[in-house]
Amino acid sequence: MTGLTKRGLLAGAAGIGAAAIIPSRRAAAQDMPAHERELYAAAQREGQLTWYTGQMQAEPSEAIGRAFTERYPGVRVNVVRSTSQVAFQRLSQDMRARVRQCDVFSSVDQSHLTFLKREGHLLEYRPRNAEGMLKVVRDLGDPDGLFQVTYLALYMLGRRTDRVSEAEAPKSWQDIIDPKWKDQLSVGHPGFSGAIGSWAVMMRKMYGVDYLRALERNKPQIGRSAADPVTVLNAGERTIGVGMPSATSLLSISRGNPLALIYPTDGTLMVPAPSGALKNAPNPNAAKLFMEYFTGPIYSQTVRQYFGESLRPEVPAPDGAKALDQFAAMTPTAEEVEKGIPEIREIWRDIFGV
Amino acid sequence: MPDSGTLSARGPAAVAGSRRVTWLGRLRNIEPVMLLWIALIGVLLFLVAFPLAKLFVVSFEDQRTGAFTLANYAFAYGRERYINALVNSLLLGLASATLAVILAVPMAWAVSRTDMPGKGLTWATVLGAFILPPYLSAIGWILLAGPNSGFVNRFWRDLTGFEAPLFNIFSFEGMTLVIALNSFPLVFIFVKAALDLVSSEMEDAANILGAGTWTAMRRISIPLVMPAILGGFILVFLEAISLFGVPAILGIPARLNVVTTQLWQFFEWPVRVEVAAAYAMPLLMITAGLIAVQKLLLARKGFVSQTGKGGERRLIRLGRWRWALFAWCAGVGLLAVAMPLFVLAQASFAKAWGRGFALDNLTLANYRLLIFEHEMAMQSVWNTVWFSATAATIAVLLALLIAYIVNRRLVPFGDALAFVAMAPFVIPGIVMAIGFYAAYAAPPLALYGTAALIILAFAARFLPIAYANSAAAIRAVHPEMEEAARILGSGRLHAVWRITTPLVRKALLGGWLIVFIVASRELSAAIFLVGPRTRTMAVLLYDMSEAGNFEVLAAFGGILLVITMAFVGIGMKLLGRDFMLRRG
Amino acid sequence: MPRLILNGLTKIYGRLTVVDAIDLTLEEGEFVSLLGPSGCGKTTTLRMIAGFIPPDAGTIEIDGKVLSAPGSVLPPERRGMSMIFQSYAIWPNMTVAENVGFGLELRKLPRAEVRSRVGAILEVVKMSHLADRYPSELSGGQQQRVALARAIVVEPAVLLLDEPLSNLDANLREEMRFEIRRLHDEFRITTVYVTHDQAEAMATSDRIAVMNAGRIEQVDAPHLLYTRPRTRFVAGFIGRTNLIEARLVQGEIVFDTVALAASRLATPPQGGDGAVLLSVRPQSMMLRETRPEDANGHAVLPAEVTRRVYLGETWDYLIRPRDSAIELRVSAPPTQVHEVGQAVWLTLDPQQVVIVD
Repeated sequence: MTGLTKRGLLAGAAGIGAAAIIPSRRAAAQDMPAHERELYAAAQREGQLTWYTGQMQAEPSEAIGRAFTERYPGVRVNVVRSTSQVAFQRLSQDMRARVRQCDVFSSVDQSHLTFLKREGHLLEYRPRNAEGMLKVVRDLGDPDGLFQVTYLALYMLGRRTDRVSEAEAPKSWQDIIDPKWKDQLSVGHPGFSGAIGSWAVMMRKMYGVDYLRALERNKPQIGRSAADPVTVLNAGERTIGVGMPSATSLLSISRGNPLALIYPTDGTLMVPAPSGALKNAPNPNAAKLFMEYFTGPIYSQTVRQYFGESLRPEVPAPDGAKALDQFAAMTPTAEEVEKGIPEIREIWRDIFGV
Repeated sequence: MPDSGTLSARGPAAVAGSRRVTWLGRLRNIEPVMLLWIALIGVLLFLVAFPLAKLFVVSFEDQRTGAFTLANYAFAYGRERYINALVNSLLLGLASATLAVILAVPMAWAVSRTDMPGKGLTWATVLGAFILPPYLSAIGWILLAGPNSGFVNRFWRDLTGFEAPLFNIFSFEGMTLVIALNSFPLVFIFVKAALDLVSSEMEDAANILGAGTWTAMRRISIPLVMPAILGGFILVFLEAISLFGVPAILGIPARLNVVTTQLWQFFEWPVRVEVAAAYAMPLLMITAGLIAVQKLLLARKGFVSQTGKGGERRLIRLGRWRWALFAWCAGVGLLAVAMPLFVLAQASFAKAWGRGFALDNLTLANYRLLIFEHEMAMQSVWNTVWFSATAATIAVLLALLIAYIVNRRLVPFGDALAFVAMAPFVIPGIVMAIGFYAAYAAPPLALYGTAALIILAFAARFLPIAYANSAAAIRAVHPEMEEAARILGSGRLHAVWRITTPLVRKALLGGWLIVFIVASRELSAAIFLVGPRTRTMAVLLYDMSEAGNFEVLAAFGGILLVITMAFVGIGMKLLGRDFMLRRG
Repeated sequence: MPRLILNGLTKIYGRLTVVDAIDLTLEEGEFVSLLGPSGCGKTTTLRMIAGFIPPDAGTIEIDGKVLSAPGSVLPPERRGMSMIFQSYAIWPNMTVAENVGFGLELRKLPRAEVRSRVGAILEVVKMSHLADRYPSELSGGQQQRVALARAIVVEPAVLLLDEPLSNLDANLREEMRFEIRRLHDEFRITTVYVTHDQAEAMATSDRIAVMNAGRIEQVDAPHLLYTRPRTRFVAGFIGRTNLIEARLVQGEIVFDTVALAASRLATPPQGGDGAVLLSVRPQSMMLRETRPEDANGHAVLPAEVTRRVYLGETWDYLIRPRDSAIELRVSAPPTQVHEVGQAVWLTLDPQQVVIVD
């Protein structure tokens, strides 16, 4: 039904325009490895793919889509960005209604992908480019190669530099339940954000459910996305962000906002965020090509500009971020996430009321 | 009547006899358009009755087996939190509706009955509040009255030196305020229309017996329009309990769970539409209960509709008091329209809205991003326009034909048809959406993620607006207009096409525009039905609000408002200033 | 050969028989009114003739062809009739000429002929100068003329009029009454005219069918309805009357202290002895201050004035015959003044006494 949309017409017009610069396109195709060239040819016939993602914010997600189309002209990416839970909810609704919409699915919640794999919803395809990724990244992916870690999300504490000095700032997750931070905190919601779900699972594991109760007594302002605290801090509504995503925060800092990141001593939450192509993808070749793109260098170069971690050795870490081996990290296992998040959502709602 | 006995004995026998004889003749002379009417009724059932029936049935079905079960109800009401959400919704509905009545009734009285100055401004306020979507208003109020960062609270602190904020928008009171400020036009339109019918003689009669202006208003005018006030109250209540955007945006930080956000949770993986259906049932019962209460309260007294005719109408001279009323109207306008719009506009042109007004904070980047770079923004604009336009067209055509066959009594049970067509008016939009999901998302129709599902849901949801509009238009066309054409040799459809349609064209255009405008901003029904490629502006705005990028969000809201205003402008040009606010 | 025949026509809504087995025959070119109080079924009958309402029993025939029977109704557009409505139903989106030409266009006449026939009929109804006006620019009477022109121009087999003058003011109504009759005299279209106004029916019709409670009580020429009413209803509905319960005893009609020879009535009673109902018009009685010498076959009885009302053109007296329980309404010219309580002599012409059912 979208065949006659304005955008379709625009794309058609762009295609005509592109015909004038065919030599450069051919050059781009020539420097592709053979396996990519093959997929590219098949993907061009499909012309587009739909990517549900909850990994990066809207702006970088759009940039990732654009970079893909620049690299592989003629294959358009429909970027459907939302929080991971909402993205998964949409995918669930698709499946329940037996509608094929999504080609590639990306979430910050690893359990989404393990679930999809177990239920046989993932395309059996191991991207060749994955061999060139950092070992730590490679190891976090699916041993069978059905999904890959395409984003390493780091969640930590943040502060308003003009309101809270480095000295008085909390140093750890444990510090923020101190009553002196009452009405100062801002946090996302595990019902909307997979990262906050993972974080809450880890807090329960390390400090018990009482931790969340103590947090509740400090009356944090609850948003939806994990990135909400960035906005809330920028606005001056609160002074301490809990579970702030490093990439979004660094981006915001680079624009002159008075924020600083705090790597908690009891462990920065490192969430390997996986992506996989779907078995019933309406555009299977484009989906495979997108998996190659995810694991190749151009993707890492793109996300780096938005303060996403580089997945490959040849691309340096983003500006202002600590190298991966210079801070304490914690990562929940897939089972912890899959089992823990539904539980923690209920617990959270019972404690916080929403 | 001495021979009535023989009459009734003869009548039916004769009827039966001749019927047998002319059975074939009957087929020969049947009007072919009868089939069209039957098809129409089918469409109406498909759009309204079936989704609701399906919702009811599904609420008793086991998710896997489809067997009868009460487990969905047990689950839906098995936890205190779920019950609390219901209670919260009820309280929110009552509080918002009460506040809306308090805001609107003095305004309606002032505009209809008095010589208050600045009536044009009051109209603009009502229209502005009507077209400003509640979720945008909620964002505007976050910018205004966020406890620490809102402009109002910062100003308050600077002014007084107090630590505590003046008003915290993340609260029950905050939600009530935002909802009431957005929905008071419903009360205003109803009450003003009713007050316009009250003859001045009604007040004169009270005056001559010794009642002053205020007593006459309190004891005569306002009680006379009580049905309109109650009607508006009920509408605002229904609107409030079925809103999704405001509770999601303000309620979560306020720690307030309501029915709609709880329904949303039931749509989390694994999708429990059966539980959602069971959970939505009380909303329907509350609706039915409210309407019963309204009937009961109004049962015996005479009201304005019986006094509509006769008597001149004069404006009441208020003297200095007119400025007090003007201040009230202006205050509402400030809170409902001017202040939220101002901060949204400021944010949409700001690099960082928190920095306030400064030249180096001005940018067009937010608009540029949306219009030229954002992958989804323009697609959603286009979706919004064509979904809304198609839905409006379907709703108006269907409503016209249904109103026609009901008004002209072409089928038996016409009143039942009218009831079905008007039913979505009092069914919370979110319940309609879940009904549509339950009925048509899955195979055999498999409409989930298609534009058709949203268009059909919009058409059904706003059918009552179109129906009220069409019914009024059709009523205004005397049936003899068509009969005159028919007796001269024109067939039923030809007469409708040549005579009736041209006569109701303007009214239909008005109905179309209103449906288009309300559909283009609808969130509650859309949020459950959109697929990735069928997101509307309202849904994208909601998605953006998750990420908290208020500058881009405000800019997108600005685009939505510009589009809406363009259509409102067309309507005003073609149909007159108050086409949106007339009561059909 | 009769043009239009209604045969046992019946319409039932729920438990209410609105039109009750009526029979009516119209000759070619005849103008017949259906006259009756509101709710008597006259409009329903007209709309059944037009084909807007199917009958529950009975038939409607035109030129020997059955148009309506239960379960089989030829739609209005195929009946070749035309109709004038209470609301005029002039289409506000078309000019006068377009309104009038509509029926001709539907008959697929060449445009030139449509134009000339529209022009001609507008001439007849004196509306030529307003041909290009829109209805909202016309007065009520002018709209009525457009409606007439629109109905007549198609030369219908039957012309139906449904209370066409009820929305006009009194003067205009009188004018249009004669206009309608003039047009009928000119075109001789078989016409059924529905009205509740007896003056209107009398002025226009060849015959009037008086309807009551779904039945036709009497069909007759206008003057006969007045002088020879056949039922109590007709007697009371057409003009005013005194209804007197009497007995027929051996050739004499007896009531109160009066006895009239039955043979002196214009239509002597046919049946045997028993109760009869008399209709005596107020105009058929006279009041005298003294006993008239020559009774001239009229009944003469002493009486008393009990009440009086002056109506401008006549005096309206309420008279009680001596030693009687009944009161009679008597009309007298303005010059004939009697005081209340005065003794008078009442004379009654048996020729003008009618026995009604």
